[in-house]
Amino acid sequence: MNIPQAFYPRLILAAYSLGLSMTLAVAADSGTGAAMPEKHFAVLDKYCLECHDSLSDKGGVNLEDVSFEIDSVESAELWQKVLNVMNSGEMPPEDEKQLTTEEKTAFLKDLSDQMVVAREALSDTGGVITMRRLNRREYENSIYDLLGVRVNAEDLPDDANAGGFDTTGSALFFSSDQFEQYLKLGRQAIQKAVMIGNKPERKQFRLQPEVSMNQFIAKVATRQQEQKDQAEAWRATNGKKTPADFGFIDENDLKFHERVYQQQGLINLHYLKSPYIESGATLNLTFNGSLVPKINIDARAPRGEYLLRIRAARLPGASEEDSFLEYGLVSPSAQAGELELLGCRKITGTIEEPQILEIPISVGEEGLFQFGVRQRAQNNRESMRRKFLLTQIKTGLGPEPSLWVDWMELDGPLDQEWPPPRYTQLLPKGVKKIGDPDVYAREVIERFAKRAFRIKEPSPAYIDKLVEMYQADIAEGEIFRVAIQEPLAAILASSGFLYMIEPAPTESGQELTDLELAVRLSYFLWSAPPDEELMRAAEKGELKKSERLAMHTNRLLDDPRAHEFISSFAHQWLHMERLDFFQFNYRNFWEFDDSVKEAARHEVYETIHSVLKEKRPLADLLKADHVIVNDLLANYYGLEGVNGSEFQKVSLPAGSPRGGILGMAAVHAMGSDGERTSPVERGAWVLRSLLDNPPPPAPPNVPQLSRIEDKLQPARSILSAHMEEAQCAQCHQRIDPIGYGMENFDAAGKWREMEVAEKVGNRRVVASKEFPIDASGELPDGTKFTNYFELRDGVAENSANFERGFTEALIEYALGRPYGFSDEALRERILKRARGKNGEMREFVLALVQSKPFRTKK
Amino acid sequence: MSSSISKRHFLRSSTALVALPFMESMGFRRFAKAAPVAKAPKRMAFLGVGFGFSQKSWYPDINETGENWKISQGLSPLERHQKDLTVIQNLYHQYSNEAHWGSTMWLTGANRYAVPGQSFHNTISVDQAAAEQLGRDTRFTSIQLSTKGNADGHGPGLSLAWNRQGKPVSALDNPLAAFHRLFSDSTVPLAQRQADLKKQRSLLDTVLEDAKSTRGKLTQTDKDKLDEYFQSIRDIEIRISKEEEWLDVPKPKPDASLTQPAKGVNGVAEIEIMYDLMVAAMQVDATRVLTYRQPLNSVLQSMGASITAHNMSHYADGDRKVLSEERDQKQSEMLARFIDKLKATPDVDGSRLFDNVTLTMGSNIHSIHYLTNCPTVVTGGGSGIQHGRHLVMPEKTPLCNLWLSLLNGSGIKADSHGDSTGQIGELFG
Repeated sequence: MNIPQAFYPRLILAAYSLGLSMTLAVAADSGTGAAMPEKHFAVLDKYCLECHDSLSDKGGVNLEDVSFEIDSVESAELWQKVLNVMNSGEMPPEDEKQLTTEEKTAFLKDLSDQMVVAREALSDTGGVITMRRLNRREYENSIYDLLGVRVNAEDLPDDANAGGFDTTGSALFFSSDQFEQYLKLGRQAIQKAVMIGNKPERKQFRLQPEVSMNQFIAKVATRQQEQKDQAEAWRATNGKKTPADFGFIDENDLKFHERVYQQQGLINLHYLKSPYIESGATLNLTFNGSLVPKINIDARAPRGEYLLRIRAARLPGASEEDSFLEYGLVSPSAQAGELELLGCRKITGTIEEPQILEIPISVGEEGLFQFGVRQRAQNNRESMRRKFLLTQIKTGLGPEPSLWVDWMELDGPLDQEWPPPRYTQLLPKGVKKIGDPDVYAREVIERFAKRAFRIKEPSPAYIDKLVEMYQADIAEGEIFRVAIQEPLAAILASSGFLYMIEPAPTESGQELTDLELAVRLSYFLWSAPPDEELMRAAEKGELKKSERLAMHTNRLLDDPRAHEFISSFAHQWLHMERLDFFQFNYRNFWEFDDSVKEAARHEVYETIHSVLKEKRPLADLLKADHVIVNDLLANYYGLEGVNGSEFQKVSLPAGSPRGGILGMAAVHAMGSDGERTSPVERGAWVLRSLLDNPPPPAPPNVPQLSRIEDKLQPARSILSAHMEEAQCAQCHQRIDPIGYGMENFDAAGKWREMEVAEKVGNRRVVASKEFPIDASGELPDGTKFTNYFELRDGVAENSANFERGFTEALIEYALGRPYGFSDEALRERILKRARGKNGEMREFVLALVQSKPFRTKK
Repeated sequence: MSSSISKRHFLRSSTALVALPFMESMGFRRFAKAAPVAKAPKRMAFLGVGFGFSQKSWYPDINETGENWKISQGLSPLERHQKDLTVIQNLYHQYSNEAHWGSTMWLTGANRYAVPGQSFHNTISVDQAAAEQLGRDTRFTSIQLSTKGNADGHGPGLSLAWNRQGKPVSALDNPLAAFHRLFSDSTVPLAQRQADLKKQRSLLDTVLEDAKSTRGKLTQTDKDKLDEYFQSIRDIEIRISKEEEWLDVPKPKPDASLTQPAKGVNGVAEIEIMYDLMVAAMQVDATRVLTYRQPLNSVLQSMGASITAHNMSHYADGDRKVLSEERDQKQSEMLARFIDKLKATPDVDGSRLFDNVTLTMGSNIHSIHYLTNCPTVVTGGGSGIQHGRHLVMPEKTPLCNLWLSLLNGSGIKADSHGDSTGQIGELFG
């Protein structure tokens, strides 16, 4: 994955480089609203003009007549230069008069803030939407909608672009490599869709771990014991015999086997003594990772929906925290114990009364056919092994297991309609009794092209060429079901499918046709093509009527497919890519494993989705008396009595720090580096995502605070160094204090009263020190807070800002272009309407869909 | 599934890899398409290292310039080649603004905001500019090497290379794939391969028909957007034409000492094998332009470290700084070994490969977050640089001036590259 965009925000302004043409930037004529306060002329006069006036013009920079209105590309470029050289300390030169700290702080703060405003204004597209191609998500969903086949599009660019959304047309590029990828994926999808064969037979695959796994461990343990006995026998000879006499290569080899016995043999023997393994297996951490009972199914097994059944129990004395079973795919390249996780289930059955889990699973889409289970653990071998060693060092044995598995079974494919509905749609007569094959081929090709193109009518010449491709293969002796594939795949690599085509309007701001509007709407809320109901409504011209449009918008929002909108939008709006940047170390954050991380990620999505579903105000996201969690995350948050892996509403006890987005583990983890919290990241995130008050991008070439890093100090005192330098202070004085308010959450989101600073050398903690947490701080509006709870209240009181930021992001995501200066009126209309309806989240979406910009093409 | 389809798809797959018969790889054979060359051709290679090097220990002392300079600690494994390399300081790209993009604009010097309303824009990279001329007579116009994953400080892109339209050029991301592309012949009969290319052309013709019928109905902005699609199809057509030309020419085999790399090689070993493949590719004249976007995270792992590349790049005194310095040394060690091989391998005219190549190692990132003074080491005799010197340029000299100098030095006529303002005359004495 790429390094965080949001993490180290970009420095430069769009304006910086708009030098070529400003035809799109309508705002340039009408003023950008960005201006340096006139009072700062005193600074220029005092420190700059001696060299940079019209006379000296040193370095080609003349500040004498500079416009304090930052209203053009030229003035923005000049001001950006000033900002850069002052940030880096280059200007004024060392041997010249220097600004006082107060002057510098005030000057830089105003300038960097004004540059943010200028950038937005100068990059305004004036409402023009650039045609976009389907992004990766939309591509996958569109193929699925057409063919009922899931493609693995991970070789396509992921389209997440710096800062903006993956729906921004101007940033969605196309290259020859991509064309070839589309072609390859299209061929795979078409092949799967056409070559379906007979209805697959339902089969059961079963695993009894005492047969496979335990017998293997017994074999290994016996050998390890024998070798240890031989080594002992040699030692008893007191050097009279050689290690070779006892079957070893030399003494080193002998010592190696003694060590293997100590490290692994003892563990294996201990495992075999367990009373629970006569039938089944216990799920231990091991010297090499984790024990993973695996069920293999035939690599030719038909793909489809299966049920994974597992008979399991938690062992006596097991804590709830350890009673979670992870299941997933085992990839051939994975290290021992690693899984491509599919899920995590709490085990509540006991040895006396085991439970049988029944988990629906899709088989064959990933090309992997081995499923395994494991007691929850950090999903990499090294962490599992180190966690194991921490106990082994003390007891000679590993941690005791908490879970037991009796057997596993994979059953499927489950009953399904045959042939699949999408097959019948594609090939209504099948591939055998098809009448005149040429006529049928043309029918199939033409119908598929029309569906794939959504809006555009495929041209007759294009259809002719596709049919020629089919005929060329037939001429070579191919049979129908083979020859039909290449033209169908070509359709999936054609511009009519890959681009969201909206023909040019004959007048400016012309209304979209119903069909075009239907496509915009479904890609906005589902990232997928319209369903039949929406298509029918469009054909009948219903969408022109505002109340019908609202009805369909509500229908789409209530459909499970709307989860695609929630998760994709929220992920980008809240900059959640940062959640995947760091691996959390096993020593301090063992519990924050991939399953918890996924649950934490989904808590954000599910909470937003519940606000949408329950027609509640958007501002409820800032503070709530409940959380939406599953059993695993509830356990992580210390909430008792929650069962079930589905997300559910759980009421909070009084005084809980959870409830509201600031209390979510995902947010805390994003604001850390996997080791320590980062009050800077957290503060900047709150400003950007919750308060609609984004801090200016971090400038490059600013001296680092390296000198105090790695010292045993609380984060708060390390960061206080930001206040020493004017370049830092101007932004950090409003960023850092918000972050301090969240210091009671550790790097992985657990509540803490004390902060532990550690110094680590050679994988060992060489020194550590504890500090009580001081969570007092201040919001940019001057509101002071003394602890986290007051911070949360303070942010919740600023819900108007939150609504504004959400609206701007929604406009950008839905319209597929950067939010611009000229969108202010639209934003205010949406806000007004939504606030008139109690600020309900759904009303924002409805207002946007019914607005003119959403319904017109410019 | 019918057997005919699986065969067809096998043929069509661009990654249809064919195991190389071992007997064939024994010994050095040459099948040049063009007439035997009397004089060794010029070649260019670029090595992008992602996150920059340690500030205090990698860069030589700026007070020791010209021929009298002491090699720095980070470069010390290169000491035996000191007379044959040039270290240049104070080069940079004026538009750089992303502290984690070590490669995206390294060879281009582009301004990412050059197009209003777009958040990303790039221009042609120097290797691709060179390939337009140097790549005419070889099977591969250029070869791009890269690594799996994308967290090594390189930034957006598929390789170091960006085409004339500023779009990313894809790369071979592991040694095995690179080996097959360079040296393994297809086992599919010639006639069938010809027929397959013909079908590819007809497919391109078909999708163009659709795009043409769309274009006329669009707004100007949308037409410009769709032109990316047209350009992509044109690029593929050009590649197919070249493939047709070389269809009947078997791929020359590398030196017998180079065997098929194992699957899943990572880190230091991965870079070393890629370097060997680069030497071999030059030796058999498979291509004359190579770029390599190198792994870093896996390099650190293979050195036994558990710190990620990104965390290391934010070094302060302690573990991370120690690792950063060890990494600098390792990088120099591998480069020194690469140079050894280039010096030991004869070219067609009896000179050494080293004498005809221009090899540059560097990044857009100086150290930590800094984007000024991009680390730059140039070696090889391909562009006539007078080596053995440490050049400290005036601050903020365009890095593109170096790229322009290397192009011209390699006999490629160009008036400018990126934001270049002229050649770096000092390079040539």
